[in-house]
Amino acid sequence: MSFLELNQVRFHVQELGPGAESGESTPAFMAHGLLVDNLASWYFGAAPRVARDRRVVLYDLRGHGRSEAVPTGYDVATGATDLAALVDATSEGPVHLIGHSYGALVALRCALDHPHLVRSLGLVEAPLPPSRLEEMRSIATSDPKKLLAALPEGLRGALLSGRRRAARARKSLEFLLRESSLVADLAAEEDVADDQLARLDVPVQLIYGERSSCRPVGDRLLAAFPQARLEVLDGGHYLSVERSAEVGEILAGFLHG
Amino acid sequence: MSDTLQTVGRMIQEVIGDDWDLDQPITMETSFGDDLELESIEFVSLAEALKDEYGAEVDFVGWLSTKELDEIIKLKVGDVVEFIDLCRSSS
Repeated sequence: MSFLELNQVRFHVQELGPGAESGESTPAFMAHGLLVDNLASWYFGAAPRVARDRRVVLYDLRGHGRSEAVPTGYDVATGATDLAALVDATSEGPVHLIGHSYGALVALRCALDHPHLVRSLGLVEAPLPPSRLEEMRSIATSDPKKLLAALPEGLRGALLSGRRRAARARKSLEFLLRESSLVADLAAEEDVADDQLARLDVPVQLIYGERSSCRPVGDRLLAAFPQARLEVLDGGHYLSVERSAEVGEILAGFLHG
Repeated sequence: MSDTLQTVGRMIQEVIGDDWDLDQPITMETSFGDDLELESIEFVSLAEALKDEYGAEVDFVGWLSTKELDEIIKLKVGDVVEFIDLCRSSS
């Protein structure tokens, strides 16, 4: 297990690859979604496929997984500063940034604020603006029960079956929703204007779920970015878990590309 | 008890750490979901421990990435032990 201190926060970082097929050296950094998520959804999902060709760096966002549970800094701009610091600390030159959900917003903001760090972007279900996401309503109530009830059944079962696991999941949610600035930070999050998106002239792979409340964002971003392509998969918002094999193939093909 | 089961059992105890409250020994039939209640992030730590122990000959992460979430939850310790033994006997 590896830990790195970045921006005065202790981050849990894991690396995969490069595998035997590795030919290109540009690493990929992958950011996960909020609250019930952590780096495991990439680690056991799409990341091993991407890591066949290149080094992949995964990390737990602040307050998530095994990273430090700090009370503040859950706005996308701070998240982007964390990611930029991680890229600086672990690689040289521009890298591929990939994110799911809130992690996609972090990757996008990182690319906008630190263009020299980014070779390409993979955005899976980026909810832009965050109010697009159906779950935002349950997050805004700060009630862990409502948030868990809004999750797809398979995911909820995985989180809440058993006494020890359910207790730990609830404790983590209680902290993030009630004791940290996360809810207020998210509520204050603004949209990114199309003319700002238009200035991001790197290849962008967009992946959206046909049944996700964020699905229309895919079309908007496809039109706004100068070099974007869009894949729509049969699924909802949680594609990194529900459609991990397809997401891995699409991202690996895109980065190879 | 096989050497592999002993090794995997020790790793699981280390991963769970202070939270350990299982009152029976880990066997081939112990399930990661119902008995151990391993969280996803603890599964990552277990995978890293296996990588450190067995190196590239046991691609636990690659093996798990072919499985759906509900299959992973239903895994038994014996499934992992058998996978490790299979990798090591064929390499």
